Amino acid sequence: MQVAARTGQDADYTALLKQSMPFQVVSNDLLQAIVGASRRVSFKRGDVIYEHGEHASDLYVLIAGRVEHVLGPGAAAANIMRVLGPGEVFGWAALLKSQPYRLAKSTALEDCECMVIDGKSLLRILEREPETGNVVMSRFATMITRDFTVPQWVAQVHSLAHRAQTQQLTGIALTMFRLSKWLRSPRPYLMVTGFALFIGAWYLAVEVWKLPRFEQLPGPTSVLKEWLSKNPVYGTSLFTPEYYLDIWVSVRRVAIGFCLATVLGIPLGLILGWSEKFKQYVFPIFEMLRPIPVLAWVPLAIIMFTGLETPVIFLVFLASFYATALNTMLGVESIDESYFRASFCLGASRWQVFRHVVMPGAMPYIFTGLQISMGVAWFSLVAAEMVSGEYGLGYLINNSYTTVRYPTIIIGMATLGAVGYVTSALVRLAGDYLMQWRVRELALGGNA
Amino acid sequence: MMREHVPDSRPSAPVGKGAIHIEQVVKVYDPDGAAVLAVDHCSLDIRPGEICMIVGPSGCGKTTLLNAIAGFHSVNSGSIRLDGEMLCGPGKPKAAPGPDRIVVFQNGALFPWKTVLENVAFGPVMQGKLGRKQAYEKARQMMADAGLSGTEHNYPGELSSGVRRRVEIVRALMNDPKVLLLDEPYRALDSLTKSVMHEALLEIYYKNPVTIFFITHDLEEAIFLGHRVVIMTTRPCKPKKILDVDIPHPRDYGVLTAPRFRELMDETIEAVHEEAIKAFAAGEKEG
Repeated sequence: MQVAARTGQDADYTALLKQSMPFQVVSNDLLQAIVGASRRVSFKRGDVIYEHGEHASDLYVLIAGRVEHVLGPGAAAANIMRVLGPGEVFGWAALLKSQPYRLAKSTALEDCECMVIDGKSLLRILEREPETGNVVMSRFATMITRDFTVPQWVAQVHSLAHRAQTQQLTGIALTMFRLSKWLRSPRPYLMVTGFALFIGAWYLAVEVWKLPRFEQLPGPTSVLKEWLSKNPVYGTSLFTPEYYLDIWVSVRRVAIGFCLATVLGIPLGLILGWSEKFKQYVFPIFEMLRPIPVLAWVPLAIIMFTGLETPVIFLVFLASFYATALNTMLGVESIDESYFRASFCLGASRWQVFRHVVMPGAMPYIFTGLQISMGVAWFSLVAAEMVSGEYGLGYLINNSYTTVRYPTIIIGMATLGAVGYVTSALVRLAGDYLMQWRVRELALGGNA
Repeated sequence: MMREHVPDSRPSAPVGKGAIHIEQVVKVYDPDGAAVLAVDHCSLDIRPGEICMIVGPSGCGKTTLLNAIAGFHSVNSGSIRLDGEMLCGPGKPKAAPGPDRIVVFQNGALFPWKTVLENVAFGPVMQGKLGRKQAYEKARQMMADAGLSGTEHNYPGELSSGVRRRVEIVRALMNDPKVLLLDEPYRALDSLTKSVMHEALLEIYYKNPVTIFFITHDLEEAIFLGHRVVIMTTRPCKPKKILDVDIPHPRDYGVLTAPRFRELMDETIEAVHEEAIKAFAAGEKEG
């Protein structure tokens, strides 16, 4: 056995590691760190790399050659012997929590070269990026469950994977970690570039080239000047109380309409999806009313409700309600039949099935519905405020148009965009909070 | 070929609860007015505590039989009894599903929104047999026995499919069922995981000997696990041949290379192949 001098081939090793099953998901930075922490070791044909029962501290990645891997006694495995080729990993006993001895014997079948990594340093490197680190650990776990049936060992791996999870950051530290990771990814910069291109095109079209039909529009500089001005020409800016009154009134209307729609729509949707009979009574009416655009309800809303506030809230509610109820119903219908059957087998009553299967099972669809519902709430709010109402962002936009305060129109629109985005994000956050199982599932799939 | 006499060397299933007596069961499906005979006067006795493997071509109606025992479907005539008590029969076409007969599904039915521990404890908590705390205690114990410690607080979506299947079997055993009904539980697994699962199932079974009604169309699986292998005819479904697997339990994977195992395989392959050809000719939908 001899330790080879470090060559300049680290990049090749990184590429090799990237091909290797457990490490496919790992970022290049981390792979380089792993290669950096490893040593290159050569073995002659017939060399025993390690014996069964030896103390295990290192993990091996085969670079070249072939290695025979024979499991030791007690490893009730499907295949006792395997021949490993380049790119394959062996010696993962080094990663087990309290299993610091070799479970197998490895022998070089020909002259071999290996990358040798100390198990503890590997764990430390993987902890730098806990999310991918966890995926790597769970892949090791899969490899081990595939090879072995000895329950204690399998349990060992899983507790290890679990430990890595509980060691994840929490609270503010987690938020900071995610933020710094986000800042290191290209995403924020692409986003800024996108914004810059959009505003740049607007600026050029309106203020520089003064394209036909565009010259009527307020340009970004005049809007920004107005928005940030202490004494706005047209009366609305960040420094006027009227601006905040408009925002407050609109947010309040959306909040009331959206909450009412949620409180009534989710139960209705759950019952529609759960009871075939109820659906037969109610759903045809529901489907008949649903395609009627909210704007068509405006006259009726004004006749039905007194005052300026209630008709607007009613219209917001109506649009939200359909979206929430329909998606909730689809959510219940999307639940796999076997979950119902399993819970009846396990002795659950009808109410318990409703509580433990129908409600959580429909949750992903419900939150999709609430996202849509929030969108249509703002949509119908502005429509309603343009027709009736006093104050509110929709009213501000429409009123600015009739009184020829063009920059104020843009201020109103941009504010709607921003407030709408924040409310949608709040709904998404609430969904993630209530559906940890889904967040974790998606994270493992690499989609989060 | 039914074996009439019972030699002493026969692998005797442990005597206990969980005898299923299926008598002259008929099931007709009637989609769009076209009556399809799925199960035709099927009679079968399943001994208490045995692993009874049901083999047949895809879509032959074996799942229909399982659904009738579990209480998901009604039967048109005939009766099914469990330890003498009528599950379904004249005047009661559909059995009520209950924790004495628990199904483990083909694609798994662990609730993805509950942690593994909550899943395993689900039965006793729902039935009010144990308080939540005691149920969790028992669940932890049973999971430790099955080598599943450490996964309690994971969600099923975070586990490998092999581990999920084992958790599901533990969830069933938490209820002290008389019968486990397994509907091709390992169909979606790769062959390596499958072999691990078979030994794990036997290990759990030796500790908790319940009657196992196991549907498969993997002959190797059937002979490796079963005390008896029942080969079903293609639709309509009824037993064509019952094979006693006279290889003593406890078994491990060494059995696969035993000469007796190959003999039994040969004996089964012919019968099954014949039915598979019939099913293929009839163009049955898989399922």
